[in-house]
Amino acid sequence: MIEVSSLTKTYGKKRGIDRISFVVEEGDIVGFLGPNGAGKTTTMNIITGYLSANSGAARIGGVDVLEDPVEAKKKIGYLPEQPPLYLDMTVEEYLNFIFDLKLVKDLKRKKHLNEICELVGLTDHFKRLIRNLSKGYKQRVGLAQALIGNPEVLILDEPTVGLDPKQIIEIRNVIKNLGKNRTIILSTHILQEVSAICERVLVINNGQIVADDKPENLSALITGDRKLTVRVSGPRDSVRRVLRGVEGVQYAEATIQAERGSYDFLVEAQPNVDIRKPMFSALARSGYPILQLKSMELSLEDIFIKLVEEKKKSYVSTSKQGKKPKSDLHVNVSESTSADFDDIAPLVTKNEDEPEIDVSRTDDQTF
Amino acid sequence: MSAIFKRDLRGYFSSPLGFVFVAAFLIIMNLAFYVTNILSGKENLKTVFSVMLYGLIVVIPILTMRTFSEDYKQRTDQLLLTSPVKASGIVLGKFFAALTVFLIGLAFTVIQVIVIAAFGTPNMGSVIGNYIAVIAAASVYIAIGVFISSLTENQLVAAIASLGIFVGILLMDFSYSLVRADWLKAILYWVSLYRRFNTFYLGVFSIADFFYYISISAVFVFLTVRVLEKKRWS
Ligand SMILES: Nc1ncnc2c1ncn2[C@@H]1O[C@H](COP(=O)(O)OP(=O)(O)OP(=O)(O)O)[C@@H](O)[C@H]1O
Ligand SMILES: [Mg+2]
Repeated sequence: MIEVSSLTKTYGKKRGIDRISFVVEEGDIVGFLGPNGAGKTTTMNIITGYLSANSGAARIGGVDVLEDPVEAKKKIGYLPEQPPLYLDMTVEEYLNFIFDLKLVKDLKRKKHLNEICELVGLTDHFKRLIRNLSKGYKQRVGLAQALIGNPEVLILDEPTVGLDPKQIIEIRNVIKNLGKNRTIILSTHILQEVSAICERVLVINNGQIVADDKPENLSALITGDRKLTVRVSGPRDSVRRVLRGVEGVQYAEATIQAERGSYDFLVEAQPNVDIRKPMFSALARSGYPILQLKSMELSLEDIFIKLVEEKKKSYVSTSKQGKKPKSDLHVNVSESTSADFDDIAPLVTKNEDEPEIDVSRTDDQTF
Repeated sequence: MSAIFKRDLRGYFSSPLGFVFVAAFLIIMNLAFYVTNILSGKENLKTVFSVMLYGLIVVIPILTMRTFSEDYKQRTDQLLLTSPVKASGIVLGKFFAALTVFLIGLAFTVIQVIVIAAFGTPNMGSVIGNYIAVIAAASVYIAIGVFISSLTENQLVAAIASLGIFVGILLMDFSYSLVRADWLKAILYWVSLYRRFNTFYLGVFSIADFFYYISISAVFVFLTVRVLEKKRWS
C-alpha cells in the first residue's frame, strides 16, 4: 500500500533523512519510533506530498506522490505534528470545510461527520469554536480531520501528544480499531505506544532506519536483562550495601527517596538469575523491610537504546581499534507509580552519574 | 478551489479584517466624495474613480496581508498542500475570496454614483465601464498582495511590503511626466496602473487596457502558484 524507496532529504546542509526505504502492506499498523530530530516528521511530510525528497520515491497504492499528487493525496488522511486548524471556525464548520476540501463525494455529509465525531469523542464539542478548545480536544479535531472521507491510508504524526492519560488510552483504542480496515503509519517517542498499537515498528534514528520488526520480536532480540525496582525502608547507604551483597546482583543504586525513611532502588540482576528470593532474605535479615517490589519488564525503551548502542559500539570498535568502546552503560528505565501513567513514560531518562548516551544527536555520523 | 474560496470569504467576516477593509475603503471614498463633489459643488464621476484607484494603495494590503501568511503561521498550509487540490486551486480560491470582499466594498460606492446621477446626468455606459476597469485594476493589486503574502508568514511584513510596492508603482506613475527620454516614458507607461486608466475616465472602454490588467493579475497568480510549489523543495 505504501512503498518508500531510498528517500533522502537534506535541509540545506543538514541531513533530514538518509536513504529510507520500507513497504507497508495493506491493513498494517506501523509505528515510527525515534528520538527528537530522527526524521519521522520529515518522512511523513514526504509521503503526504508536503515536502519533496532530494531523491527516492514514495508511492501510495501504486501512485507516485510526485507524479500524480492529487490522486495520491486522495488516498491519504494526514494528521501533521501540529494539527492544522482554523481557529476562527467551529468544529462543525471546520469539518464541513474539510469534507469539501477533500472532495468527498460518496458519503452522506451529516452522517459521516457525526460518525467521526462519535469516534474521536467530539460530539459534545461540535458547535464550539476551535480557538476555545483545550489542547487535547484540538488534537482530536486534527484526528477527525484526517479521518474525513475514509481514506485508505492514515498518516498520524504523534497522534496522542498533548492528551491526558485517559484520553491517550481512548485514542489508542480508536486508532487500533481504525487499523482493522486501513493502513496506518504513526509516529511516537513512546515505546509503549508502539507495542500497544502497532504490529510492526520501524526504529528511526538520525535519519536512518535502525530496526524494522514486530515489537515482540524486538524484545526477543535482547535477552538476559532483568531489572527490578524495590522500595526499602532504611538508611540509603546501608540498604545499598546489603543489596549489592546479594548474590546475583550486578548493579544496585538508589534512585529517589520515595517516602520518609525509605528509598527506591534500581537493581539489576546478572543474566538468568532470579534475585528476588535472596534479596528478600538478605533485607529481612538486616531488618530493612521491603515496601514495594516491581519487576521491570524489558521494554522497547531498553531495546531502542540497545539498538542505538549496538550500532555505536560496532562503529567505534571497527573505526577506532585499540580504544575500548564504552561499555557498562546502565539505562534507567523510567518508572511511575500509577498504572495509568505507565504508558506515557518518556523515551530516555538517564541516571545522573552514568555515562551519557546521546541518542538525540543529529549532526554527525556516529551511528 | 470552491472550498478554499468559501472558507476564506467566511474568514474575512469571522474576524474584523473584512469589516476593517470595507470600512476603510468607504471612509476614503466618502471623504473624497465630500471634498470633491459636495464642497466644490461639482458632480464629477472622474474624481470618484480616481480617488478609488489611489485609495486601493492603502486598503488592498489590509485585504491581502493574511491570505497565505496566516496559513503559514497556523500551519494550515500543510492541510491545504496535502489535500487533493492543486496549488493553482489554492491560490485562485484565496484570490477570488479577496476579490469578492473588494466587490462588497465596491458595491457600497454605488450609492455615491446614484447621488451624483441625481444632480447631473452621468453617462451610464461610462459609469459601468469605469466600474469594470476599477475591478480589473484592483485585481492587479490583489494579485500582487496575495503574492507578497505567500512569501512571508508575518502579516505585518506582508502588509508593509505590499504598501511599499504599491507606492513604488505610484511614484513611477508620477515620474512619467518628469522624464524626457521616450524609451523610459514607454517603460513607465507600461508599468503604470494609473495612466492607463485615463481612457476609462474619458468614457472609452479600452479592451487592450482591460486585458493589460487581467494579464498582470494572471502573472502574479502564476508566480504565487510557483512559490507554493517551490515550498516543497525548501
Ligand atoms: N524546515 C527545516 N529546516 C531545517 N532542518 C530541518 C527542518 N525540518 C527538520 N529539520 C531537521 O531534520 C531532522 C529531522 O527532523 P524531523 O522533524 O523529521 O524529526 P522528528 O523525528 O519528527 O523529530 P520529533 O520527534 O522532534 O518530532 C532534524 O535534524 C531537524 O533539525
Ligand atoms: Mg516530528
